[in-house]
Amino acid sequence: MGSTLPPTRPELVCPAGTPAALKSAVDAGADCVYVGFRDETNARNFPGLNFNRKELGEGIAYAHDKGAKVLVAINTFPRAGTPELWHQAVADAARLKADAVILADIGLIEHAARVHPELRLHLSVQAAASNPAAIAFYAERFGVKRVVLPRVLTVQEIATINARIAPVETEVFVFGGLCVMAEGRCALSSYVTGQSPNMNGVCSPAGEVRYTETHAGVTSELSGFTINKFAPNEPAGYPTLCKGRFIARDKASYLFEEPTSLNTLNILPDLIKAGVTAFKIEGRQRGRAYVAAVVQAFRAGVDAVMAGRPLPDIDLDRITEGGKQTTGAYEKAWR
Amino acid sequence: MRPGQVRSAAKPATPPFSPVLLLGLALKPMRPQVLQPIFDAMLRMIRRRHPDILERMADYADRPVCIDPTDLPFVILLDPNPEAPALIVRREIDPEEVAATIHGPLATLIALAEGKVDGDALFFSRRLIIEGDTEVVVALRNAIDGAGIDLVEDMSAQLGPFGKAFRGLAGAAIGLADRMQADFETLRAALIAPAVKDVDAQSARIAALEGELKQLRKAARRGGVA
Repeated sequence: MGSTLPPTRPELVCPAGTPAALKSAVDAGADCVYVGFRDETNARNFPGLNFNRKELGEGIAYAHDKGAKVLVAINTFPRAGTPELWHQAVADAARLKADAVILADIGLIEHAARVHPELRLHLSVQAAASNPAAIAFYAERFGVKRVVLPRVLTVQEIATINARIAPVETEVFVFGGLCVMAEGRCALSSYVTGQSPNMNGVCSPAGEVRYTETHAGVTSELSGFTINKFAPNEPAGYPTLCKGRFIARDKASYLFEEPTSLNTLNILPDLIKAGVTAFKIEGRQRGRAYVAAVVQAFRAGVDAVMAGRPLPDIDLDRITEGGKQTTGAYEKAWR
Repeated sequence: MRPGQVRSAAKPATPPFSPVLLLGLALKPMRPQVLQPIFDAMLRMIRRRHPDILERMADYADRPVCIDPTDLPFVILLDPNPEAPALIVRREIDPEEVAATIHGPLATLIALAEGKVDGDALFFSRRLIIEGDTEVVVALRNAIDGAGIDLVEDMSAQLGPFGKAFRGLAGAAIGLADRMQADFETLRAALIAPAVKDVDAQSARIAALEGELKQLRKAARRGGVA
């Protein structure tokens, strides 16, 4: 592992929670689509979402026919003593000719590398590998080809990592929801609901959420705890604890994180120069209108940068959380 | 309780000024049951062309949902039981009868069903109001979004040889509705322009007063005269 890679055309990795969203992503210009099975093996185990085996087979055929790849996220941590569901998910992804699986649990990665040596392995953001030594371990020990980096690094730090881990590829998030915690290690949802994205694939599960409309606005509750109140016409956010508004010193404010979406459209040239292999759009839980709009925007952005044209001015405000956007840790303006 | 409104403690969603709102007023004297054949046809279409919606809703078979087009004088009861699904138009629904209610203007609900707008974005911008069991609403949203519904295409496919004519008529009707909506927007802007001017002036005054208050508080904290 060593030298700096010249900038290459990054792949656009796009989310799909349903077969219709997969088609929308491919038709809008996705190079890859990432999906999950309809169970707790993936970190977006939401009601009515995801793919059964037949749908995934058809989705892979559709994507391959159009020259796109399909990556299967199996990125929750198996329950102790019962890894069968996760092992079956890896086996089915391999059987259905998925182009790669995205894994987080080190035991599952070992299993996949040993039982399915032909299957390409990507390391999920849930594994929180954020330095060259951690990435080298996964690559050398299990043959992991790509690492999805946590959203805590600056562009410069990403460039430094890329220079030291080649030929291992990196994938970074370019748009969508943000987690304030170290990914794969956040237990906030567990404290209140008993379920977490790490183990159950759900953060603040919908079954624990209630909204109450009054003349003063809307109140969101999680497992009976009030976590936010929005005035009439105030943009709302997801009902997660990290984006709750709490009273401290008699003042209600966002103690962890404001409802805001990541948007890196304007710093795509920097990320490309940093040697990133793939740009990931968050949002398997979002509808196909979101998928189409964001994929089109980033397709236009990447194509413009690679062709040496100015970045397109595309307004994605209407689909952002809380109506706000940030470049997050990539620019770390708060330092 | 006004007709078409669910019995609820919630603030009724204010419908937008639109051609649908006028249509709703015109439909008010009519018994909603007159419209039931339209919803029966829609349900047949869903069962034939998008059975995956009911399959994705299988875990929520016992949780009916009320869909409340806020600009129309009726509501729709959706029973997702895969064995005996139902889409029933009613004047009103007691919240006790349903697991959840979705309120929104008709055009928004149709756009959501056709995947033309993102459900989360509608919620963030508060154009969609959800009450009750959030889980069944999320499941329904995902099931419908995942089906790839195109109402005109789906309904015309149901009509066999008349499908082409229906498609033409529907296209013309949608074009007319879009033009009318644009005209209504202009009319609405003209009607509320004086009020908007007053509100803007008041907002500027409030901002100035808040600025002064902030300065006074700072001075008070420093021990000056407040």
